Formats: sequence, C-alpha cells, structure tokens
Amino acid sequence: MKKNLIEIWGDLVALKDLLIAIAICSVTTMGGFFLAPSTDATKQLFFGLAGAVIGFILSSILIKPKRTVTEEEK
Amino acid sequence: MDASLILQMTLATIGAVVLYTFIGFVPGTDETSVLMPVTLAIVLAGVQPIVVLTFFIAAIITLNLMNAIPTALVGLPGGVMSTPMIEHALYLKDRGLAATSIKKMATGSIIGTAIAVPVSLLLANVLAPFSESVKEYAPLLFVFGAIFLALIGKNKILALMSIIPLALLFQGLRYLYWGIGAVPQDKSVTTSFFLGITIGPLIVSLLGLLNKQARDQLPRHEQKDIILDTTEEKGALRHPLRTISKKEAATSGIVSLLSNFLFFLSPVGLTILFGEAVSNKEKDPEKKASMAITSMSALSHATYLSGIIIPLIALGIPLSPVAVGPANALFNAPPVLTIDHNLHHILSTNEFIFAIIFAAVIASVITYFIAVKYARKMTAFVLKRIPHEAILGLFISFILLLAYLDAGFINIFGVLLVGIVCGTLNKMGVNYGVQFMILYAAPWLATHLLLN
Repeated sequence: MKKNLIEIWGDLVALKDLLIAIAICSVTTMGGFFLAPSTDATKQLFFGLAGAVIGFILSSILIKPKRTVTEEEK
Repeated sequence: MDASLILQMTLATIGAVVLYTFIGFVPGTDETSVLMPVTLAIVLAGVQPIVVLTFFIAAIITLNLMNAIPTALVGLPGGVMSTPMIEHALYLKDRGLAATSIKKMATGSIIGTAIAVPVSLLLANVLAPFSESVKEYAPLLFVFGAIFLALIGKNKILALMSIIPLALLFQGLRYLYWGIGAVPQDKSVTTSFFLGITIGPLIVSLLGLLNKQARDQLPRHEQKDIILDTTEEKGALRHPLRTISKKEAATSGIVSLLSNFLFFLSPVGLTILFGEAVSNKEKDPEKKASMAITSMSALSHATYLSGIIIPLIALGIPLSPVAVGPANALFNAPPVLTIDHNLHHILSTNEFIFAIIFAAVIASVITYFIAVKYARKMTAFVLKRIPHEAILGLFISFILLLAYLDAGFINIFGVLLVGIVCGTLNKMGVNYGVQFMILYAAPWLATHLLLN
C-alpha cells in the first residue's frame, strides 16, 4: 500500500480528502447561516449548526476512514 | 419546578449522553474543543439555564467514560483525559482483559461521580460566603490565575513570558473592532477568541501543510491497522462493585475525595499524580494496571466535576482549569450570560443541587450500561465509519460560523490570527489553561501597563 497519509490531531488523514471535507462542511455551514433571516442571530446559529451537521454526514459518506479494522478472537 | 422543565432536563441529559458517546469514541478529540462549542451553542440558543447545566454535567460524565473505552479496546486514547491510562490499558489488553478493564473503568467512573457530586456541593456551600469579597478582586484574580497556571505548568518561564503579549493581542483586536465599528462599544468579543485558542494547534498544523517544503518532509504513513478483540466474556452486566476489588474501590474513593479539595489544579495533572501514586504501590503488574485504570477513571470524573461545580456555585467566576476551559460557556457567553450574570447568579442553590444530581444519576446509569454492553460495537462503528477528515471539517466550519456571528466577516481573520498565535504558543509549550486565563486577564493587564 502507498504511504500517503499524514497525521493531524491524533489520527491519519489524506490531504485531498481533508480539503474536500473542509470545503463541504464550510459551504453547508455558511450556506445554512446565510439562508437564515439576517436579523435573527439565534436562527442564524441554528441554521449554521444544521448545515455543519449535514456537511459532517456528507463527508462521512463520501470519505473513507483511513483505518483498517480487523476483528479477531483471542 | 414543572413537568415541562423536567422533561427538558431529561431530554438534555439523554441528548448529551447520545452525542458525547459518539464523540467520546472518536480518537484524539480534546475535551475543551468538543464541550465548549456545543455548550456555547446551547446557551446562545436561549435554552433555560438549568437545562444547560443538566446538559453539561451529563456531557462530562459521558465523555470522560467514553474517552477511556477506545483506550482499553485498541490503545487509542479517546481524549486528553484518557492519555494517562494508555500504558496500563495496553498492558491489560495484551493479556486479553480489555472487557474487564472497561468494566473497571465504568465502575471507577461511578465511584468518582458518587464522591465528587456531594463533596463538591458541600465544599461549594462552605466557600460561598467568601464569594462577595473574592468577586471584588475578580480582574486581579484572573491575572494571578494566569500566573499560577503558568507556574504549575511544565514550561514556567515561557508561559510567564507569553502572558502580556497575548493579552495585548486580544485587547488589540477588541479595540480595533470598536474603532472601526465591527461591534458596538458595549460588546467585548470573547467567545470566538476562546474558540481561536482551542483550535489554534489545529490551525497551525493545517497552515503548515500549505508550505510545500514542510509538507514534503512530513512523515508519511500507511493506513492504520487496528485489531479489535472480539472475545466475548460471560456475565456481561454485573453489579458495578463486583467488577473491582475492595481495595480498588476504597483507593479510588479516597483519591477522588482528595482531588475535590484541589479543584483549582489541572484535572489531567491530578489524575496522573494520584493515579500513578496509588498504582505504584501494587507489586503485581496486573493488579497495578487495573488499580491504575480504576483509580484514574474515578479521578477523571471527580476532578472534572469538582472543577466545574465548586467555581460555579461558590464563586460565579471561572477560577479553575475546567471552568475556564470546557465549561467557559456556563460563565460567559455574551449576550446571554456574562461574568456578572451567569448560572451562578440565575440559579438557586436548590436548583443547582437538583440539576447536578439529576444529570449525574441518569447519565451514570445510562453510560455504565452502554460501556459494559455496547463498547465493542460502538468502537467498531466509529473506527470503520467516521473519517477523521469529516471531524476536522466539522470543527473548521464551527469556527467559521461562530467567528462570523460574533463580529462579522473581519472576525474570521481575527480568529485566524488568534489561532496562529495561540497555536504556536501551544506547540511551544504554553497550555490551554494559561491562554484561557490570559483572555480573562487581558482587559486589566492592558489598562495597567501605562507606566510612562
């Protein structure tokens, strides 16, 4: 297997996937924020947070975790 | 107290347990960065103070135990508080005792909680009469707090030297925002600076990747191989006290009790100090490791709970590493909560006691059950399904959002600046606690430095 992963914040990531995830989450979060009425800070926060969660789910579906988990009995 | 409030508190507790069970299993997440932003969001959303408190107490109980589980199963610490356990948990795992160590951790967490809740409530009420005189000196206390945390840390001189420059950075940005009208004169930007501090090390690592030369020199890794032991053990759900020896129970109880009186010290420091001290008394390596994980699990709960309960009830100002870090939003989340008007001022003593016990009991029971029954399945799910990239993406977007909400577009770059400076200091060896305390001390420092 090719060695192309780097360690950030205690776990391994692929650079390209990291950029994709940051882009997706930022767009959905700020998208949510700007969809909310600009006079209502609470709604802006909530729409933004909902966007963040959507972004997180999307990136979890699109990106594969960089861990190989083997389950075995001792 | 009416039924709808109880219902909200129940939902808050269950919500905290569900959310932090998942987050807890994710390797490497720092407590401050996962607790602070969510609590902040809940406060800003206008949730009732007593419900916020319930949420927070349930969250720390859940997170502390769930953080320990991946440590026991695969040797990856779920968070900073479980790093002291790694060595001991790995020893037990290699002997095929991962499931036993999870049970011991779960029991330890119950002991720690059961001791810390009443003792810190009691201590808080003993200290409360002094709070008025303490509060008069609050601005100065933050300065002393910063100096104190600098002196008990590893890099004393470095931390001391960073106090004034960092204070100037925070005040410099605040005065700039006032000067150009980014925020009204009566608003002091705080929350997004807190997040800037929290996310600093991550920002520095990410920006470092933009340097091609540095990027090419980084060590490259293959996919991580993780072996999950699926050996089933009999008698899965037992009475908590039957999973540990009498000696382990008594020792965990005593160290938890002692740690309550030291609520102003760092929880991770106390956990290492007491946990290693009691486990080193055991000669047999297996007994030593299991004493270590049981007592450390109890300690991580006890130190966290006392670190939040005592300052919150007795003082109303965040004068402990837990209060100033993960629990900061309970003290200061403008415009909803401020240093002069926060949970301490809003809730009565009885409400505090009720909410804390309510959350502690429900969260302990559910997390004990989850830890003992479903630890393995959940670890497997998180490791297989949740990519680290998505978690980093989530954090970055959180910062963007809260920076924008706090002071508009310009503040995204302000927070970036705070992140670069604080992250660099963090990597050099100035810990979070000192930096958070400096943020509180900054207004006093900046106005008392005019010596000419």
